[in-house]
Amino acid sequence: MIRTPLRPLAQILEARSAGQNPDRIERENIRLRHEQMRDKLRQRAETRLLVLGVLFLVGFTLIGTRMTVLASSDPVEPQASASAARIVAQRANIVDRQGRVLATNLATNSFYAQPPLMVDPTRAASELIKIFPDLDEKDLLEKFTGPRKFLWIKKKLSPEQVQAVHDIGEPGLLFGPREMRLYPNGRLAAHILGGASFGREGVHSAEVIGTAGVEKAFDDYLRDPALDGAPLQLSIDLSIQAAARRVLMGGMKLMNAKGATAILMDVKTGELISMTSLPDFDPNRRPKPLIKGDPSDSPLFNRAVQGVYELGSTFKIFAAAQALELGLVNPATMIETKGPMRWGRHRIRDFHDYGPELSVTDVIVKSSNIGTAHMAINIGTARQKEFLAQLGFTTPTPVELVEAPGAKPLLPPKWSDISTMTISYGHGLAASPLHLAAAYATIVNGGTKVTPTLVKQIGEPPLGPRIISERTSLQARQMLRAVVTSGTASFGEVTGYKVGGKTGTADKPKPQGGYHKDKVIATFASAFPMDDPQYVLIVTLDEPSENSGTEPRRTAGWTAVPVAAEMIRRVAPLLGLRPALDPGDLVGVSHTRL
Amino acid sequence: MSYLAHSVKSVPTGFSRVLHLNWPIILLLSAIASVGFLMLYSVAGGSMTPWAEPQMKRFALGLFVMFSVAMIPVWFLRNIAGLAYLISVGLLVAVEFVGATGMGAQRWIDLGFMRLQPSELMKITLIMFLAAYYDWLPVKKVSHPFWVILPLILIVIPVYLVLRQPDLGTALLLVFGGGGLMFIAGVSWLYFATVIGAGVGLVTAVFQSRGTDWQLLKDYQYRRIDTFLDPASDPLGAGYHITQSKIALGSGGWTGRGYMQGTQSRLNFLPEKHTDFIFTTLAEEFGFVGGLSLLGLYVLVLIFCIASALSNKDRFASLMTMGIALTFFLFFAVNMSMVMGLAPVVGVPLPLVSYGGSAMLVLLLAFGLVQSAHVHRPR
Repeated sequence: MIRTPLRPLAQILEARSAGQNPDRIERENIRLRHEQMRDKLRQRAETRLLVLGVLFLVGFTLIGTRMTVLASSDPVEPQASASAARIVAQRANIVDRQGRVLATNLATNSFYAQPPLMVDPTRAASELIKIFPDLDEKDLLEKFTGPRKFLWIKKKLSPEQVQAVHDIGEPGLLFGPREMRLYPNGRLAAHILGGASFGREGVHSAEVIGTAGVEKAFDDYLRDPALDGAPLQLSIDLSIQAAARRVLMGGMKLMNAKGATAILMDVKTGELISMTSLPDFDPNRRPKPLIKGDPSDSPLFNRAVQGVYELGSTFKIFAAAQALELGLVNPATMIETKGPMRWGRHRIRDFHDYGPELSVTDVIVKSSNIGTAHMAINIGTARQKEFLAQLGFTTPTPVELVEAPGAKPLLPPKWSDISTMTISYGHGLAASPLHLAAAYATIVNGGTKVTPTLVKQIGEPPLGPRIISERTSLQARQMLRAVVTSGTASFGEVTGYKVGGKTGTADKPKPQGGYHKDKVIATFASAFPMDDPQYVLIVTLDEPSENSGTEPRRTAGWTAVPVAAEMIRRVAPLLGLRPALDPGDLVGVSHTRL
Repeated sequence: MSYLAHSVKSVPTGFSRVLHLNWPIILLLSAIASVGFLMLYSVAGGSMTPWAEPQMKRFALGLFVMFSVAMIPVWFLRNIAGLAYLISVGLLVAVEFVGATGMGAQRWIDLGFMRLQPSELMKITLIMFLAAYYDWLPVKKVSHPFWVILPLILIVIPVYLVLRQPDLGTALLLVFGGGGLMFIAGVSWLYFATVIGAGVGLVTAVFQSRGTDWQLLKDYQYRRIDTFLDPASDPLGAGYHITQSKIALGSGGWTGRGYMQGTQSRLNFLPEKHTDFIFTTLAEEFGFVGGLSLLGLYVLVLIFCIASALSNKDRFASLMTMGIALTFFLFFAVNMSMVMGLAPVVGVPLPLVSYGGSAMLVLLLAFGLVQSAHVHRPR
């Protein structure tokens, strides 16, 4: 403190003369001055305090008001809609033509750990081992105590497992909602559905993406949020699919085949009512693709669509139909069948010697290669090529499966005259059973083109472009019917359903060239009922061998045909077809004459 | 205020000092701490462990510290204020090198028996030192530019060190606590007006420049500021705490769901439910009435502190008491505003209620200083 008071001498003298102590007066003066200063300071401090007090008051008021507002508000759960990185997890169901579920979603939990939140990693690891014996305790503990902030433990948990993990009581073990794809019908329609797996995965949800089949072909559609979960309706009928698969399974075992496929198609719309390929798989646990060996040996291989085979004599009807259509022949025209037929250095033989000539109908009924080849050479290469292209044999099938575009038919590199002849009886051109189904549908439905589809068609779709005339179609149907009633497919008769069809047995090609002597692809391409065909059924057996006789029989008539007949017997009632029973001979009954 | 003694003419000495403590403040602090015990017992799902029991032990230890400090004559405290400040700054520097990292920020020094958070201590020693500074400084020079820059440096050094940890909440408390003390000490209005004007100008410039050619910050920095200011735009990320605590407050309503009946905190929706966000549990279980009652307790503490400061003729004691009261106010005001979504989440605990050793000990130490100032005030 700076001492300022300079005592006025006069004051001191005055005080002395008055008998007072001047020191006391000085002290008093200093005290007063200090008091003055303090008062000033205090005043200033009090102003400041007042300002601060106002600030405090404002603070309290704000907090109090806010508390009032919040206390009177309704608690609203926030919606995480702002995040741009949102993963769309909802995937539409897939249903069959009756609306029955083929693929749906199941809410499960994913399971992850956040080691920084863990209270007791050692206990957590040892407890987890008890629930999931497949985990490695040492590894887990290492990860839990390591620098990682996050790790996945399991992608899918059952509710029991979730409960068990909950019961550990470890805050660092966490669950995220997960929708997984579920195929409640297991192996039924496995190849059609394909399968799905997780795409981008987040803690709060994961993307389910199609990996094969319809799931992949319609991936964008199924995940389109704009459709709001409207299911994808397939043309497949679950009951018929189940029945057809059961029969095919039995037939495959009975005929000792290593694989089999059956396709049931609506002849007018091209809708696939059922399509089975064996062996199959469970899409809920889709197996891994084969790393080595022939991919066609994998259960994932869809023989109906991906299996490109020479389909043998089933092709003969196309040559006959075209010859009829072009007016080259009529069903009764006699065709030369004297064999062996020579063409350059090639020879064409028949299974049996059918004599010098057969009618066109008999060429089909008895399945004469020579007779068909004669018709084909009359048709000519260019016209045959064009006709087969119209039937769809030169391009992959447009069916809605992701595998379909890859299954291109194998065409001869050079379509020579001899190719024309061999192709007419099903050799030298390889196509899938689905190609065959669509072409047969065209032949028997009155002659309009059919495009195979797996999606249920709404209403009556317009007919495709005309390929053969109604008349030709009728004549072809009569021939196919005759094959069953008096030809190679006599085991194909199913009482009341007027089955017609054509067998085909083709030697399997060796990978190194040439053909196996004892391995065939046996096919029966059929339609029913033949007076007004509704459905085409293709049954193809891979390497069948029917061993009840003295030596193994492999021809389609002995293998594929009985299986197809059994299948028709089973599915025709399910399809709502009534057997048209032949009244038989009326013995002892006479018409009443009026 | 004096108890038992009818009229005290001189500063009490010896055991009689206990009678001259500011007992209302002690009772209020105990009441607030008891609310804390209740809440910690509740968030643990009705269990003394892991939070309520250690908190009680620490409170007992803190009371002991408070009484001990209260016995120290206030002039001795003034004399060691500079030393205390230097030690705190030294500890803050030490944290840089030997600190343990907790929740992504380096804040502790492990002393073996407890974890010391030097930044907590810093809040008190900064107040002490600034109070001593203004006590020493002649009143005339308070607004002289040189004598203004000096305390600014004293504030900036610890603020910089705390920001490096990084602990934004504590840094803000230091700035506002120190600045507030300078304001109470009587530094000219002009300085505060200038600083506030410059701050507003800078913020305006930063936001005005957004999207123009002379943009001052990078785009991602703007986005961070956006989320910081409006956590509701990211309800599952930065705004998670806020949205959840708002739900809790709303769910509590006027009278609450009842003790131990809160769902938000019990079902683990709220991380840090036992520390910074414990107020949400209280608000959910005791509702608006409970929240306002706690606020009332805090306000009473504040009133008693201000009354004590006003009646104290010793400048150091008065300034220190005011400074501590201001810090206390900032603590709970910032915490409550943060929990209720009025202020961004900056990590400030609710004084005496939130679980945490350092904060509680330091706060009771601070009230020990207040008591010492009260007991040893000149009569």
